[in-house]
Amino acid sequence: MEKRYAKKRPAELTAVLRNLLRYLDLLNAAPNSKAVQAGFLHREPAGVIAVDQKGGGANLAETRLYTLADDSAKVLHLIVIGDKGSQANDIQISREFAQQVKEISQQNENKEERPAPQRAAVQKRDSDAGSPKHPGRNP
Amino acid sequence: MLEAQNIPAEIREGIQKLAGTTRVVDELCLMRTRAGLTQAQIAERIGCTQSRISKLEGSVDRDLSLGEIFDYVKATGSQVSIGIGKPLTHVQSVKAHAAGIRRHLTSLADLAKKHDELEPEIQSFFGEAFFNLLNILSECQGAMERDRGETEFEVFSQRDESGTAPLAVAI
Repeated sequence: MEKRYAKKRPAELTAVLRNLLRYLDLLNAAPNSKAVQAGFLHREPAGVIAVDQKGGGANLAETRLYTLADDSAKVLHLIVIGDKGSQANDIQISREFAQQVKEISQQNENKEERPAPQRAAVQKRDSDAGSPKHPGRNP
Repeated sequence: MLEAQNIPAEIREGIQKLAGTTRVVDELCLMRTRAGLTQAQIAERIGCTQSRISKLEGSVDRDLSLGEIFDYVKATGSQVSIGIGKPLTHVQSVKAHAAGIRRHLTSLADLAKKHDELEPEIQSFFGEAFFNLLNILSECQGAMERDRGETEFEVFSQRDESGTAPLAVAI
């Protein structure tokens, strides 16, 4: 996806990545991801934040990079990048991704609450869990 | 980060170019975020609309007015410093900073004179500042010294027949 954008929409990709870096700076300055507010950020369902191409110049195609910030792990997941044509699908993918991340986090929290003797086995399974996967749409 | 993600060089250059147009704007946004303020809260403090703040944060440095910058910064509880004039040499910069340090230290000394309870703390700070300044000078002087084992200064005479030519120093 990212390679396609670099080739066919370099100006849009440049602008979106520039705003992604600005978003990262703001995330690092804010007490939590919910406190970050900027004109190039859009709140989508399930806590997903879309970074757009604003500020990159005139006549750029509407482009959005969908992200999910995990405050506890200090990780920003890059989910998918797309334009107006793929917007509905991108939001659906992002929503499912966010749901999977939430489920994995909850599972991990539940496992950590178990009694001490079971902890070793739980931790092993934690490391096996990895990130939620998406069929071929990750940027 | 972008290099690690294999982002093409021309895209990275483009990003740098864009970043150069919004250095002040980005700093303002960071200032607001660090202060834990929303655009609406800043707008309320300044006495304008949230959409005006949004527009300001979405603009480029060249489009900002000094008044906007002053209002915004004041609303975040910070202050603006603007330097106007010819570029200073390093020596001139050090002298200017030294004058500033002297001014602030004099103010602190006056404070200590007026308020006895502050004197011990200010005395302690003076000691700390004295040590730090000496330390900076010592470190910088140390960085200037050459490794004499590799390069030797050699002084030789290049006097012409009249004996008026100056000495030359070879490294």
